[in-house]
This record gives sequence, C-alpha cells and structure tokens, in this order.
Amino acid sequence: MIKLTRVFKTFDGGRSYAVKDLSLNVDRGETLVLLGSSGCGKTTTLKMVNRLIEPTKGIIEVSGKNVLDYNAVSLRRQIGYVFQGIGLFPHMTIEQNVEIVPRLLGWSTRSRRERIEELLDLVGLPAGSFAQRFPDELSGGQQQRVGVARALAANPAYLLMDEPFGALDALTRETLQQELLTLKNQLEKTIVFVTHDLHEAMLLGDRIAILHDGGLEQIGTKEDILNRPATQFVKDLFSIKRPRAWM
Amino acid sequence: MNIDALIAYVLQRLPELWLRTGEHLMLTGCSTLAAMFIGIPLGILIYQIKWLRGPIMGFIGILQTIPSLAMLVFLLALLKQIGAMPALIALTLYALLPIARNTLTGLEEVSAEIMEAAEGIGMHEYQQLMMVRIPLAAQVIAAGIRTAAVVGVGIATLSAFIGAGGLGQFINRGLALANTKLILLGAIPAAILALMVDFSIGAFEWALRPERKKDKKRSTKSFMRLPALMLPVALILVGIVTNFTKPDWISGLQASMDYGREVVRIGSKNFTEQLILGEIMAQLIEAKTDLIVQRRFNLGGTMICHGALINGEIDLYAEYTGTALTAILKHAVMTNPEKALHYVSKTYHRRFDLQWLKPFGFNNTYAITVRKADASQNNWNKISDLEKYANTLIAGFTAEFAERPDGYPGIRRIYRLHFGEVLDFDPSLMYEAIRNKKVDVICAFATDGRIAAYQLTPLKDDRKFFPPYYAAPVIREELLKAHPKLGDVLSRLGGRIDDAEMQHLNFEVDGKKRRIAEVVQEFLKSKEML
Ligand SMILES: Nc1ncnc2c1ncn2[C@@H]1O[C@H](COP(=O)(O)OP(=O)(O)O)[C@@H](O)[C@H]1O
Ligand SMILES: [Mg+2]
Repeated sequence: MIKLTRVFKTFDGGRSYAVKDLSLNVDRGETLVLLGSSGCGKTTTLKMVNRLIEPTKGIIEVSGKNVLDYNAVSLRRQIGYVFQGIGLFPHMTIEQNVEIVPRLLGWSTRSRRERIEELLDLVGLPAGSFAQRFPDELSGGQQQRVGVARALAANPAYLLMDEPFGALDALTRETLQQELLTLKNQLEKTIVFVTHDLHEAMLLGDRIAILHDGGLEQIGTKEDILNRPATQFVKDLFSIKRPRAWM
Repeated sequence: MNIDALIAYVLQRLPELWLRTGEHLMLTGCSTLAAMFIGIPLGILIYQIKWLRGPIMGFIGILQTIPSLAMLVFLLALLKQIGAMPALIALTLYALLPIARNTLTGLEEVSAEIMEAAEGIGMHEYQQLMMVRIPLAAQVIAAGIRTAAVVGVGIATLSAFIGAGGLGQFINRGLALANTKLILLGAIPAAILALMVDFSIGAFEWALRPERKKDKKRSTKSFMRLPALMLPVALILVGIVTNFTKPDWISGLQASMDYGREVVRIGSKNFTEQLILGEIMAQLIEAKTDLIVQRRFNLGGTMICHGALINGEIDLYAEYTGTALTAILKHAVMTNPEKALHYVSKTYHRRFDLQWLKPFGFNNTYAITVRKADASQNNWNKISDLEKYANTLIAGFTAEFAERPDGYPGIRRIYRLHFGEVLDFDPSLMYEAIRNKKVDVICAFATDGRIAAYQLTPLKDDRKFFPPYYAAPVIREELLKAHPKLGDVLSRLGGRIDDAEMQHLNFEVDGKKRRIAEVVQEFLKSKEML
C-alpha cells in the first residue's frame, strides 16, 4: 500500500509547485495510473515515493510506514522502478543488468541465474540469445522489456513505472501494453504507472489519477471518470474535439 | 649518403640505439604508470570533493606550464642528483594533468539518467561510483593515459640533459656536434616509439572492451585479445630488460669484467670542446690507471655539471676559469689569468673541497665574431668598431652569454653596444646562423674550429673586457686523495693544448664530423701520451 497525504514539492523555494497538495492512495495489488500532460509532476511524484526526491511538505507512506523512516537504500531495493529513460547500464550485459538488485541483496549465483532465466522468459527475451548482449544491441522495445525485468528482479511488492512505453512506436507499444496487462494479473503487484496517454491509462489502470499543474483533478475508476467527471478539465479531456493521443 | 652507408651507420649504432630506446621506454613507462597511480585516485577524489577541484587542478595545471628544462633543472637542484630520478619525477608530474583531468571529465560526463537509475534501484554511493560511474568513465580515462604516454615519449627526450639517457641523448649529442644524422638517430626512433605507444595502448583498450554480438570478426578478437593486452606490457618489459642488461656500452661491459675495480665518473657540458676534453681525460685515465671510467657527458650546462660534481654524481669535468669565477662564484671579472686561476682554485678548495688541476693551455674566451666579408667591407677590427653599427645588427648569442655578467650585459656596459635584435641559440646552431646570415654577430668561442672554416673573424677585445677562460680539470679532492696517481696523470695534460690545437680538434669533430673517440686517440698518440 502506498499513501500520499497532502504532499507538496517545490524546486524554487515556493514560487511554483511541481506537486501541489497531492493526496492519494494505492491499494495492495492495484494498478494506479497517474495521467497528465508533460510537466504536471508525475515523475516528481514517483521519485518522492522511492526517495530520489524528498517532499517539501506532506507524508508519504509505503506499507504503512513513512518513507523517511526507511533507510533510503533498502527502501529502493523493495521497490521496482522502471525509469522514464530506461537507464540500463550500458557497460553491463542484459544478464548483469537484470541481476543487479539481487546481486546487491547478496543472492547466491545459482538463485540469480534461475531468476534471470525466469524473468527474461517472462518479458519475452529468451536468455539463450539475449543474456550476453549489451543494451545497445537491442531495439528500443527490447530494452524497455529489460527495464521491466530489472525492476521485477528482486520480486518487489511495489512497481513504479514512469512512461515505460512513451518512446516506442505505436505497434510495439500496443504489444507491450497487452503483455503488461497479462503480467500484472499474473504478478499481483502494487503498481503506480505514469503516462500521458489517455488510451494507455484506460487500458491499464484499475484506477486513474488525473494530474494537472501538480494538483489532483480526479481519482477514480474509468467509469467514475467517464461518467462523473469532477472538473471542467476532466470533462474537456474526453470531449470529441480532442485528438486521441492527448498530450 | 647512399642507402648502404646509411644502413651501415645505423647498424654501427644499433647496440646503443637499443640501449637508448630501452631507457626511453623505461622512463616513459614508469612515469606513466606512476602518474596513473596518482592521477586516477586524485581525479576521483576531486570529483567527490568539489572544493578541492580548483586548487588541485590549478596546481597540476601550473606544473604543466613549467618549461620542461626548467622543471628538470629545478628537480635536479632539489634532489641533488642527476640521472633517472629527477627525470622520472618530472615526467610523472607532466603526465598527471591529462590523466587527472580526463578522470574528472570522464566521471562528470556519465549521463545523469544512468546515475539516477543506479541510485534509484538501491545502490549505495560507493557502489554507484565503483559499479557504474568509474566503469563508464574508463574510456575517457584511458584516453587520458594514452595522451600522457605519447606526450611523455616526447618530453622524455629532454631527460638526456640531466644524464637520464634515452633517445634524447642522440639528439643532444647531435645538437652539440651539429650532426644531423645523430639528431635523426634520436628523433626518428622517438617518433616511431610515440606511434607504437599510442598503438599499444589503443590495442590494450580494444582488448579490454567486452566482446559484442554484433562484432563480426568475433574470432579475431578472441584470438588477438591476449597479444593486444600484452603489447604495452611488452614495451615496458623491453625497457626493463635493456636497462638491467645495460652495458653502458663500453665502460659497463668492462665494469662487469673487471669487477672490484674502482670507477671514476667524468662529466662534460653539452658542446663539442667539452666532449673532447672529457674524452681526452677519459682515454688517458683508461690508459694510465686501473680505474674504470664512466662517461657522463652532455650534461645540460655549467650549473648542472657543477651541481653534479658537488653532489658526487660525477668526479671530475673540465671547467673554465672565467666561468667558475663569474657564473659559479659570482665574483667580479678578473682580467689577469694567473690571479683568476689562483682565486678560483683557492675558493673551490675552501668552499667545495674541489681541486683545480693544471690548465690544458688554451684560452677559450668569448670572441665577438662577425663574418670576414662584413669585417673587411666595414673595416671592423676590434669590438669598439661595432658601436656605430650595433643597432642595425642582429646578434645571435647562447642563452648563457645573453645573461651572464661577463656576457652581453657587460658588453653593453663597457662597449655601449646595443644590438638591434638579440636571438638565443643553442651553441652549435649559432655558428650555422651567422654562416647563413640569419645573424650578423655571435659570441663565438675562441677555440672553435668553425671560426676558420666558416670564414669568420673574431674582433679584438680592445677594452680587455672578457675574462680569461683557461680550461682545467676540476676534481673532487676525496677522489684525488684515494687515487693520488689520478692527479699525476691528468697533470700531464697541463699546457699541452694551445688555442690552435684546440681549434683543430674542434674542427675535426664539428667540421669533419669525425668520431670524438678517434680524434682524441689520434691526438693523444701524436703527443705520445698513450
Ligand atoms: N530537479 C528539478 N529541478 C527543478 N525543477 C524540476 C526538477 N524536476 C522537475 N522539475 C519541474 O517540476 C515540474 C514537474 O516535472 P516532472 O515531475 O518531471 O513532470 P512530468 O514527469 O509530469 O513530465 C516541471 O515543471 C519541471 O520543470
Ligand atoms: Mg516525467
């Protein structure tokens, strides 16, 4: 369970807020999608959850405990993070990238090896032909799958995914979306998924939180949002005048 | 020169070429390694501790701007020894900048996105550094090492100035003797060496880079990896092997045969006459005593020779009374030769425990010298005749003459000569400069063979400005006491070489490009001293 209570974040001493009075919670096993246009504070919110950024004000809890009470490193090792720019380590093979967190946690070579096989299978990259390659020998979609495998490696209860499919072509994106859908039903993780794509949000989210200028416009299921838009902003979002891939 | 002669020339020099190349590799290799061990941690340190960057990079940046020779001479004075140690330290200091700077740049340039991922998945700070940042900076660091090593090969040629050997020794000797062949014998191998070092470090880097699936010639890499890794190691090994089997060619080989015999180390400055005098003393000692002679010739100037003598790095060399008086003892000029010698030998004994033996005979004073054609056209006979013309003339002086009180500063005072322009030259290039009309006036040495050969005229010192420069062996008293016979042997040279004789010897070497050892042997035989 992840819970944010009245969280604020400013980078400029209070003149503007990247995140403004944000309260929300993500239930166990649920996928919450943070939906919003570029610059509305989605990445900042995710980073505050695993303490890459400290909030200016407010409380963030993971598993019922304030994140500030965790040791930052051990907190991060319990949370899988798929970064907006993927961020694979270019000097390590796919295998080394995937096993990095288990290695940091001191898993045995044997259990790491088994885990790599399992994960690469799961994300559709058979270890036999991919384990020994380097990231730059993979396509963008394949790299993104490795990013997901790395985040899942130590079997964390939480998964933070920051626009994981944002930079991919439409076809690949749709395939990966479908795969993630299957995956999340299989894995029972608590997931926060960030996107600026309305269609993606509708497809993947158990619930959707719509952000605008750092603040929360509405949070709820697809039906809630479609049928009972809370604000004019949300209403406009679904008006037919808007192009489908709303940015 | 035809190809056969060229090959013969190189073959004849091959053993020494091998030795010098080895020394050169040793100097470059050891200093680059040392700079890596200091520079990489230093780069990491200043990456971590930001406020140290300014002071540390500033400091090693300043080190870089110190001219190499100045640095060598400074270290020489500081360490009180000539040879490999000051050279290694100087080379290490120079190599520090590219390595530390590239380490810092490499670490800084690692993409923020990747570092954020490293932090975000839960790496400790030192894990981020060791597992991600440093490995990703490795290429840039390696490029810094490569630069340092290649530049090092170039700078190492200067080490010969302070007796550290290396290929610079040929260049030095070639410059001293105005012998292009010798210069090239040092310069060309040094250039080739630089390319080899560049290539070998490149190969090393290549071999360390992990093999990729997309590398088409995969088998080539697995096949070539080991040899590529071994290349720089091999280069350093060659350096070590040649150094430890170092024959020092002639004398060292003998030394191993005559184990137990004592050694006398003879120094010389870096111009022809000094090399000849050094060789004359060396051959005579070899012929008439049991001592083993080590030739530490071509040291870069008076202060270096004197320093080496005082610090016991060499045992003797030939010094000139005038130089000792003004440059070393900082005494005012004395124009009476006997008084000058007396004063110098008394003071040397008292201050340095050094003994002046009997002078060889000639007086190699400075001679303000012009082209014979100019002299007869303008009716110049004595130095004061130049007064009216001086501001239209270009003078070419050695750096030493330009600064010494008994050099140009004194000339300006006594003769009121202010030349239009003064250029600094290496001693031997100065003669070429006047011959090729690049300059009109030079500070020739009275005994230089090129005065006659190049149709030059020394002007008369009508105001008796130049002090006498009688050359004599200066020797450590300690050695003289241990081997009294040495004094007797060297004293036999007293008064045996007059100006004309010295001019002749100088010209045999400078003008006719004959080997010094041969010219000297001929001379000693003709004097029936062997
Ligand atoms: N490190 C930072 N320093 C200053 N401003 C930042 C920083 N990170 C984000 N911001 C600002 O905060 C706002 C929200 O950014 P971000 O969370 O990255 O948006 P999103 O991920 O929704 O595109 C933007 O206006 C951005 O410029
Ligand atoms: Mg973002």
